[in-house]
Amino acid sequence: MEWKCQFDSIGVKMPKKIVTTRELVDKLKIPCLKKFGLLTGISERKICSSGEDSYSLAVDAAKDCLSHSKYRADEIDMIINCSITKYKDGLSHQYEPTFSVLIKNDIGAGKAITFDISNACAGMMTGVYLAENFIRQGMIKTCLIVSGEYISNICDHAMNNIKTSLSSELSSLTVGDCGAAAIIERTDNDKNGLVLSGFTTLSEYSNLCTGRQNRKGPGGFMKTKAKRIHQAAISESVPIVKEALEKSGLSFNQVSWLIPHQTSRSSIISGSNHYLDYFGQEPGQVIVNLKETGNTASTSHFLALYRYLNEKKFKENDIIMLLCIASGLIVGVVIYKMNEIVLRYGNKN
Amino acid sequence: MVSVSQPWFNLLPGNSINLSKRAACKCIDDSGIDPCDIGLLINTGIYRHKNLGEPAIASLIQKKMGTKATRGANSGKTFSFDLNNGGCGWLTGIQIIEEFINSNQISNGMVVTGDSDPFHGLSEKYYFKSAAAAIILSRSKDSEGFALFRSYSFPDHSEEFVSRTGNNNLNRKRNGKNILYVSQKETYLDLCAAHASESLINFLGETGLKLNNTDLIISSQSPAGLISKMKDKIGMKDNFVEIEGPGKKKLHTSGPAFALKKTWDDKRFKRSKHTIFLTVGSGITVSVALYIN
Repeated sequence: MEWKCQFDSIGVKMPKKIVTTRELVDKLKIPCLKKFGLLTGISERKICSSGEDSYSLAVDAAKDCLSHSKYRADEIDMIINCSITKYKDGLSHQYEPTFSVLIKNDIGAGKAITFDISNACAGMMTGVYLAENFIRQGMIKTCLIVSGEYISNICDHAMNNIKTSLSSELSSLTVGDCGAAAIIERTDNDKNGLVLSGFTTLSEYSNLCTGRQNRKGPGGFMKTKAKRIHQAAISESVPIVKEALEKSGLSFNQVSWLIPHQTSRSSIISGSNHYLDYFGQEPGQVIVNLKETGNTASTSHFLALYRYLNEKKFKENDIIMLLCIASGLIVGVVIYKMNEIVLRYGNKN
Repeated sequence: MVSVSQPWFNLLPGNSINLSKRAACKCIDDSGIDPCDIGLLINTGIYRHKNLGEPAIASLIQKKMGTKATRGANSGKTFSFDLNNGGCGWLTGIQIIEEFINSNQISNGMVVTGDSDPFHGLSEKYYFKSAAAAIILSRSKDSEGFALFRSYSFPDHSEEFVSRTGNNNLNRKRNGKNILYVSQKETYLDLCAAHASESLINFLGETGLKLNNTDLIISSQSPAGLISKMKDKIGMKDNFVEIEGPGKKKLHTSGPAFALKKTWDDKRFKRSKHTIFLTVGSGITVSVALYIN
């Protein structure tokens, strides 16, 4: 028997400290970057301060998720930590033990199987893909997918290295910190929930965005060939989205909400226009959730879901398409038919 | 199909990414499978060359394998990602591939694992050998194959083995550099052996299999001294596979793959009816699987 699955709850933890785009741009003193905030759609981002790091964001997001859930921690069967950054106790990158086994201990999920995955900004979506397979096969009933991204430190490296508006580190100015978590559960509701998830790695583009630990000091840095990765992402994702829609028996205009990976407003608008040209249709609404948070890496889709759930914008039966584009180059599509989770976040309709 | 890879000369520090690519390509060559037919590729190495964070190392391995594809580098059908579960990562990767094969989402999957010192010569107390291994899993035509997987964790002992980066301002050679520190408590080895043995007994209880009905135990090769401790605790001394090598360095995530390769080559694996895969690592986490021939 193959089971169905759906989101039970979503949780988020945002740091409180704010850094505005204007503050960053003013420090750089590069005239061409004056409109950086306008182009990216990012006015500010939240960044970690003392006592906060990838781990604390992940744990707090997991606790927030559990507070919205009908499950207790000891009922969670699997925990997958999906963050790119693994900073604990400040900017100390932890290799072992895994974050997931520490989170298990911190939240009291005594029976959970644990492991970490890393797949750039596609991390949490990859977690959904894996959890879905385990649930459909009947191996588990509940899975907590969690990620804490203390990624804003790459901005510090970029601030010292950006000399022109063509710098490969310019994308580092768009990022912000965030923790997010989601519980996926087994359900016998075959009308709502996860309709489809599909992922592909187009590895010929794997060198277009790379990030690593900084050898000379704490934190990391990232270099991106932004124009090339944007072009590749747009052109290569279209047939994958088309295939996903065909498999789901949906047309593009039946998608109520499209949530792309949150990179910059101009990229999202340009991608949406390309999709409109190709499909001749457009989804109900394309979500841009960048203004106050920036690009929060692997957590960006779940941050957008959380915000829109809390703002009561989703209705039961809405079709949500989560479109994931990440360095690798990974293209992933998750199609979700909104379930009663909306009621848990206060939407009475 | 299993393949392994080590630096050409033991004196070379090794580069986990290149070693993993080499092991993966050799595995593809030996199997005769087209890389386009690998539906899922999981890299489970932990210590990576120059500590690359993104993209996933798996995508770099996939790119290298793409050059061997008969249908063009971009088949559009392979998905790859990295997984970390300490010393149990390789077996967890196999479990995930097995689930995807069982659900008919893929026909073949590959798990690659490789480690090398991310900061050559600078890391403190890093004692793992530079090595990589790859395994391809395919759908079996009969009841042969993996029958059961179980994971056990003992997070009360999560501080026994910790590896993380930090700044060293005391040592001139490492002055101010962001390097890797490995911290292993003296009790770690005993705890690993005890929890692995306890987990194996629980696992066998679940399968209904008796210890003396197992023919082969493919286990982790680290921490140093693990195999002899487990032999003392469990018995069945001839069933354990130990990879001896020069020097004090031990195989980490690729340890069980090297043990499998050894028994694959000397045909012990094929002759074994019941093979137990037993991995243990930081956390403390233990993964056990039963393979039936």
